[in-house]
Amino acid sequence: MRALASTLAFAAALAAAAPASAQQFTPNAQIVQGLQGAVQDVPNVSAQALRGLAEAHMQYSGPPQDRPPLAIQLDQLAQINVEIEFDLNSAMVKPSSYRTLGAIADAMHNPELLGYKFLVVGNTDTTGTRAGNMKLSQERADAVATALTTTFRVDPRRIQAVGLGEENLQDAKNPTAAINRRVQIFNVGRAGALTPR
Amino acid sequence: MTIWRGAGWAVALVLVALGSAGAARAQTVSYAEAAGLLNQHCGGDIMKHCRGLNLGNGAIHQCLAGNAAQLSPACAANHEGIRAMTEARAAAQAAVFKVCDRDRAEYCPGVEAGDGNIVSCLLQASKVVSQTCTAAIANAGYR
Repeated sequence: MRALASTLAFAAALAAAAPASAQQFTPNAQIVQGLQGAVQDVPNVSAQALRGLAEAHMQYSGPPQDRPPLAIQLDQLAQINVEIEFDLNSAMVKPSSYRTLGAIADAMHNPELLGYKFLVVGNTDTTGTRAGNMKLSQERADAVATALTTTFRVDPRRIQAVGLGEENLQDAKNPTAAINRRVQIFNVGRAGALTPR
Repeated sequence: MTIWRGAGWAVALVLVALGSAGAARAQTVSYAEAAGLLNQHCGGDIMKHCRGLNLGNGAIHQCLAGNAAQLSPACAANHEGIRAMTEARAAAQAAVFKVCDRDRAEYCPGVEAGDGNIVSCLLQASKVVSQTCTAAIANAGYR
């Protein structure tokens, strides 16, 4: 399994931003925009439900391009794909992706998004074993979620994490393509009243 | 060596400069900026001394502190300052509701807490809220 990396335009824009500046860095507008606007009739998506679907999906043993898609429509949720680089076969986020983690946190603290909950979803390509991919993607999703909720103080009640292994390929025809190795963030609806603690 | 010590001063000077900025300007930096600085100054050290660890739960900070003698000069000079930036932003976000409570009571009386409602209301009332509340909102990164 290689390091998770994709080539999304906005991530490249993030990386190109000046590293050290005394000026205020505006929280990444594209992240905020991508995660905004949850539609009214979104499917009730939880980490637990997705995990169950992914595990059930492991029964399809054929080649990746012949497996049916996951039986859930995530397309209608406000979402972004983020480029987060992980160390090889590890849940360690490489320091080169710290700024991206910080930018995601900034977006979640943006007033436009303060009222929403999010699902952090980890995905791998088909390199390596299927069970190993499932485990690693969960650990990676957890690592991202923990950084957000501890270091960057996003209320843990707003964040769930789930790894889908190789069960939800973005490009099933090219199952080892880099685009499949991705972290997705979904807006899963209103947070409601969270009592301070 | 002098150059790296200079880098430490640079971080300190940035903090001082931010501290003297006007009330409406944030005196804190975004999480993205602080995290980017951590990579810039300590990325190599983290891969060398903290491989396998993550930012969450203070693990990287503890690792860097525990390996203080082995760190590169740039990382040694800057990592505590960078952590302070993140903590300053977090403290500002935690303080908003307390600092702005009187403004909330005055300008957002019927607004129910939750869903980011209070912050949205305070932002809408930005022309009239107190200077201290305005500063707290800016430091939290809410505007």
